Amino acid sequence: MIYSLAYLLNSGNIYYEAAGVVAYAILVSILIFAFSYLFGWVERKLIAKMQYRHGPTYVGKYGILQNMADLVKLLAKEIIIPENANRFILLAAPILLVAMNIFLIFLIPFVPALQLGSFGLGLLAVFVVLGFTPILIFLTGFSSGNKFADISAQRSVLTLISYEIPMIIVIATAAALAHGYSIYSMVSAQSGIDFAFLMPIGLFIFFIAMLAELERPPFDLREADSELIAGWLTDISAPYYALFLLLDYSRMFLGSLLISIIFFGGWLGPAFLPPIVWLVAKAFTIAIFITILRATTMRMRIDKILRIGWIWLMPLALINLIIAYMLLL
Amino acid sequence: MSITRVNIGPIHPSTHGVLRLVVDLEGDTIENIEPHIGFLHRGVEKLVETRMYMQCPPYMEKIDYVAPMSVDELYVAAVEKAMGVEVSEKAQYVRVVLLELQRIASHLFWVGSICNDLGQLFTTFMWGFRDRDMVLHLLEIATGQRMFYVNMRLGGLSRDLPEGFGEKTLELMDYLEKRLKEYENLIEKNPIFVDRMKGIGRLSRGDAKEFGVTGHVMRASGLDYDVRSERPYYVYRKLNFRKQYHLSGDNLARYEVRIMEIKESIRLVREALAGMPEGSAAGMPIKLITPNAKNRIVMESRENPRGEEMIYLVADPQKPYRLSIRSPTFINLAALNHMARGSRLADLFSIMGTLDLVLADVDR
Amino acid sequence: MKVERQALTEKVSVLKSEGFDYLVKITAVDYVSHVDAIYIMRNMDKNVDEVLEVEMDPSDLWLPTIIKHHASADWYERELSEMFGIEIKGRHARRLLLEKWDGKGSPMRKNFVWGEPYPKS
Repeated sequence: MIYSLAYLLNSGNIYYEAAGVVAYAILVSILIFAFSYLFGWVERKLIAKMQYRHGPTYVGKYGILQNMADLVKLLAKEIIIPENANRFILLAAPILLVAMNIFLIFLIPFVPALQLGSFGLGLLAVFVVLGFTPILIFLTGFSSGNKFADISAQRSVLTLISYEIPMIIVIATAAALAHGYSIYSMVSAQSGIDFAFLMPIGLFIFFIAMLAELERPPFDLREADSELIAGWLTDISAPYYALFLLLDYSRMFLGSLLISIIFFGGWLGPAFLPPIVWLVAKAFTIAIFITILRATTMRMRIDKILRIGWIWLMPLALINLIIAYMLLL
Repeated sequence: MSITRVNIGPIHPSTHGVLRLVVDLEGDTIENIEPHIGFLHRGVEKLVETRMYMQCPPYMEKIDYVAPMSVDELYVAAVEKAMGVEVSEKAQYVRVVLLELQRIASHLFWVGSICNDLGQLFTTFMWGFRDRDMVLHLLEIATGQRMFYVNMRLGGLSRDLPEGFGEKTLELMDYLEKRLKEYENLIEKNPIFVDRMKGIGRLSRGDAKEFGVTGHVMRASGLDYDVRSERPYYVYRKLNFRKQYHLSGDNLARYEVRIMEIKESIRLVREALAGMPEGSAAGMPIKLITPNAKNRIVMESRENPRGEEMIYLVADPQKPYRLSIRSPTFINLAALNHMARGSRLADLFSIMGTLDLVLADVDR
Repeated sequence: MKVERQALTEKVSVLKSEGFDYLVKITAVDYVSHVDAIYIMRNMDKNVDEVLEVEMDPSDLWLPTIIKHHASADWYERELSEMFGIEIKGRHARRLLLEKWDGKGSPMRKNFVWGEPYPKS
């Protein structure tokens, strides 16, 4: 099916190509939803095991339908918009955020044969679009007219901005090693050895920055529930909250995909499994590692997070860049 | 910079009940905190004036619902003192064992909830609750109830310890010691935890005295006053009890004092079980009591899990004429403004967490 | 130890200089004929308590504040003035501490009339 899709996309006939894009979009959307859903279940079960609990058991076999039940519950609830909220932004920003993240995942070629998003600056494009996230988060938090949301949005933006720069530097390093920003060149450059072994410092920085970008613990200032109730989501009504849960997991998917593409050779792997399975499996493993971190760490304080970002990650990223150039020479 | 006024509570994930804080923030720094308490005020002190003596213990237990037995025992001890009732030695030992178990349960609860306040995703919380529940199971074996025991009677307890209680307790104590090491690995070796706790919410020795804080808050600031060692009641004098204290007075010190107290309690339970004399621990059945208060004014204090709890009782023959409770969390909370002023908003909740508030105890 | 209320502040400061610098509790008892305010101070080094009793006429309830000497007296004094209707002189009158009601009378006084448990609306 994938190869017929590739044929459609490369056929040169505009109608066929359009049909191919639509089919691809549907395929990737299904993949995102499946990943979000399954990963939500795995995360619940895994954290439950770490806490000597059972996790969901009642709905479906091993509680696998529990998330569906939660989704239905959330969707069935009323939408409440606070009086002093900016109605338009509050309703538009979540949808924009989710749409943006799904678009970003479209840019990632799940199958090497697919040409979509394979233009020369593919990876850079991903990060350019990702850079819009803080603005939307700030808009959502600010427009809900809640002080907790306000504080949380400010924190969120501070974190994202100060961690984006080391991340971009690491990507530049990887691009230097791969001779280009295209995702294809990035992956094919790792056919010999993974970048994870070439630049372990880079992996470390990128992983931490990605955690901050995804707002996963210990950087989960967004939903700092013991301080800010639910952060910038405090005044978000249930159906939109369901959207944000989807956003949460799709961002996690995106983040783990990027890590596996830049550092672990993307879809490369022994041939007994198709490339798409390798890519998703790698992303899944990384996501599980993030989950284990989530269950054990405490939350860091905002000033400490910023300090680590500027004092440790920035110089380390530069050192990583220098080492990589020495490797190239 | 302008000041933002944030209203936290009365319904909030980490106020441990219904506490409302009005916090003035300058940027992320706390300028002033105005605690609003009283959402859980039930007027217990007034209510017991209309009840007979032995009708009161259930009300007393709900004052501190995390460690109900300690307040119950305090009240019964005050009534015993008013009526001049002696407690048999066996009953003293049994009470000490149960009280220390209650303390362990309460402290484990706290260890879990402090990590929750620091933003951990309920892992230590669940661990603490699980281990606490095992202790509660022991108490259930001993008293018949899981949480609200009402097992104290004048001169003893409602019933003796059942067969095999000692072995089960010792088994659990071994298990808990093993678990405490795991807690250490999970919590204390986490650099983020140390970073969030060390040097935060510092309370100097002089300020601790000035603000009258009590319990682990006081002992973490270097005021080594523990009622169990300074004014030993029951068999604490025989049990070779060592008070635990710390000098630095910050959040980490309060945490460490509590962990050391759990270890000390485990040791005390073992020692008390080993030295348990023969005899009966049963007290007077409620129906047989003919109230006859001898002493008019009685003051009795106990080292509860949360600090020194004191009862000032003016006794009538039939009913308490006036019962005034000095609750430890009430006065610890009053010092919150002093402790948290100037720190970050995120630290407010860790400081409040280390105070170990039980809002029912604050409001009475 | 019985203390006149005019001499209370002085007594507290003298006690504080003698080492009774830890305020355990301030409470009050309504004996109908008179109302007693009770201050429990502790000397931690010697481990002894000192109980000060201040007798007041029910028609003339006021106390001087000791907040200058003990910061911990703040909430206790507020509780007293709320529960017993004792006016604390020399400090700012603050909002009610424990009760969130607008009823009449002082709840812990013996002459307090128990009203309807729930207002009928």
